[in-house]
Amino acid sequence: MQYIAPTRPISMRRFFEKHGWSYLFVLPSMTTFTIFVLVPVLWAFVISFQKYSIRSGGRWLDPIYDNYVEAFTSLNGIFVISIRNTLVYSAFTVIANIFLGLILSSLIQPLTHRWRTFFRAAYYLPAVTSALIIGMTWAYIYNAQWGFANYILRLVSLPPVRWLSDPDIALASVTLSAVLTIPATAVVLYSAAMGSIPTEFYEAAEIDGANGIQKWWYITVPLIKSTTLYLVVLYTIASFEVFERIYVMVPSGVGNSTQTIVTQIYNNGFKDFNFGVASAQAFVLFVMIATVAALQFRFLQSDVEY
Amino acid sequence: MEKKQKFPLSGMWHILSVVVIASLLLAACATPTTEAPKPTEAPKPTEAPKPTSATAATAAPAATAAPAATVAPTNPPPPKREAKGGIRKSTSGYKGTLNLWVLGYTPGNAFANPFDNAVAQFMVDNPDIKVEITGYPPNDEGFAKLTTALQSGQGIDLLRLPSDRLPGFVRDDLVEPVDAYLTADDKADILPNVLDVTRLKDGKAFAWPLWVVPMGIYVNKDVFAEAKVDLPPTNWTWDQFVDAAKKTTFKRANGEQVYGFSGFIDPGVVNTWALWMNEDASVLPVTKDLKFGFNNAKAYAGLQRMADLALVHKVTPPDFGSQKDADVKGGFTNKQYAMIVDATGPAAQFLGAKVNFEIYHHPSVNNRRITIGAVGLIAVAKVKDETKRKAAMDLGRYLTSGEVQIDVPPGSNVPTGFYLAPGARKSVKVTAPLDKFIPMLPDMYVTPLIPEWAKLTRLIHPEYQNIVFGKAKPEEAMKRIAAEADKLAATK
Repeated sequence: MQYIAPTRPISMRRFFEKHGWSYLFVLPSMTTFTIFVLVPVLWAFVISFQKYSIRSGGRWLDPIYDNYVEAFTSLNGIFVISIRNTLVYSAFTVIANIFLGLILSSLIQPLTHRWRTFFRAAYYLPAVTSALIIGMTWAYIYNAQWGFANYILRLVSLPPVRWLSDPDIALASVTLSAVLTIPATAVVLYSAAMGSIPTEFYEAAEIDGANGIQKWWYITVPLIKSTTLYLVVLYTIASFEVFERIYVMVPSGVGNSTQTIVTQIYNNGFKDFNFGVASAQAFVLFVMIATVAALQFRFLQSDVEY
Repeated sequence: MEKKQKFPLSGMWHILSVVVIASLLLAACATPTTEAPKPTEAPKPTEAPKPTSATAATAAPAATAAPAATVAPTNPPPPKREAKGGIRKSTSGYKGTLNLWVLGYTPGNAFANPFDNAVAQFMVDNPDIKVEITGYPPNDEGFAKLTTALQSGQGIDLLRLPSDRLPGFVRDDLVEPVDAYLTADDKADILPNVLDVTRLKDGKAFAWPLWVVPMGIYVNKDVFAEAKVDLPPTNWTWDQFVDAAKKTTFKRANGEQVYGFSGFIDPGVVNTWALWMNEDASVLPVTKDLKFGFNNAKAYAGLQRMADLALVHKVTPPDFGSQKDADVKGGFTNKQYAMIVDATGPAAQFLGAKVNFEIYHHPSVNNRRITIGAVGLIAVAKVKDETKRKAAMDLGRYLTSGEVQIDVPPGSNVPTGFYLAPGARKSVKVTAPLDKFIPMLPDMYVTPLIPEWAKLTRLIHPEYQNIVFGKAKPEEAMKRIAAEADKLAATK
């Protein structure tokens, strides 16, 4: 049999005959992604090595890493404190959100369909409510003078707490507010993941004499590991980028105790208009998130299929 | 095989869930009615406070002593506007829109009505010119918004700003010099030392001086009366101030706690600084030789004195140091604080809210009494179109003139008239209670005009907070930032 190599134009034509429409469909989103995400991100990386002004443009620095040095040393090294605060906030909120989401979805799973639907919808409310409104609400709850939290403490004869004006506890207060705001996405995704676990596994475990806790620990938790990985990465990224909550709850700060990486990026970018330093800090954040996400994938990866 | 359950009404449950969520969201997004400050009781027209022996001993100047001055005048409808000519009429020949950015402007508030009225008059005199006002809040975020607009060169032709922000804009070539547009009348009328504040490069002036804004101590007379405490003398000392704050810190019968003093502490403001900078003449954020001036023993003493208000005397609310500006002003309006320190602007706001208040100069320490503040300015952004630039300058001149006070007198929807602070021209006459600030002007320290002022205050602020919170000693806090503060102070 003689092999006839296809000519290039025919190959391209066939290729587009086969896949052309799909590229057409992808084109709008790729265009907007390129214009509004990819190009700005790459541009920000370039700016992180420049002294940049909106009016006069960028000028390469000498030494070229000067913005990175300034990022870590200016304002009494506040960026290092911000990184520490962000890590503390992230560690607590990610663990608590995953744990809470798992517990809540496990509790609503045995309910009837209508109640499950109700609770899923109710728990999803925080996800569709503005972060600013949630932050304002918590600021009122924590108000040291007339807030609800201190009102409760007074009812049980405990002294009032300066929730948002004591540097030793302000970050903990903000973290607590994040934890107590129901982890909506976790509840919904865990609930969906639990609903898709075949009932045969539980029936088999029952035959073997497993109790409810054992079934949950040995069947449910391992089989939703891929969802856990997704949620851990999702919540880690979100908590590393915490901004609105702090911006609304403690706009004037509490010493340096509530400064986070993104508040520093915002301050440098939009208060000092030092876009080079802000971009450098943004890339430090990018590297941190990428590193943590890679580690999470490495240790939580799951190939469970059922 | 997965078991399937039947829910005959499952569709209805979905609809119900959506309805419940929509209702909750609408409720959450609605204007929170509980936030509105409680209306305070209007002072009785005949209720002149009895002069105490203390006040009698140190009677304020006659023009400022009348308690009735702090009672809001009746608000008749705004006057019908007609063209008046004079400096209201722009000779630029420009036809189009001018964008004016105003600090603290929110439609309908005490900072907005004066400008709305003045701009309305300007547009009557110049029917071809439309003036659009954009507000920005008096905090870090507001200045960020303003700077972004200026840097982008879009949608901004004139701006009202405090003097401490001008050097950065001049350095970045974002505002026009005004010298070429100053007439002989302007030069004769504008207070020369105030105009000099704007001369930042090559001897050129870069803004129209509007008013001078010192900080004062607002005293809520109703709270003093409720606590049965005599008003302190106007030339009070620090000890008398602390004594008054202590006596007006009390718990009401309903359990509500009243505090003697509060003030807004934020990187964007210096409201509370004069209360401790008065320790000594050497206590300055930036000295004449461009050094950081808070890292010395006198500054430590002043800062500790300030911190003691919260830590020792316990006359401040528990979140003093990180309170929001609205909470400070709201607390004063609602009689939860007896005294606050603030700029001239809230006087009109308190008048409008019918608060029964008095304005005091800062207490003295070692016979030294100072206040701190800035000069309010109207600058013109870089405008390429010459006729537009001329029109913007004409509007700037009008908005800083004596005529604008005539066009927007006290008693329309502007309790103090156009001017919210003592004017920067000889021809401007302000009425009570703003005239209480005039005697403070000779003691006023104008915040330094250095390009890195905003960054310097961001460096100082967290350490200042730590001192007030009792988490750092003034000496260790100031030493921590001294080296970097020196660099920022010297940056040109």
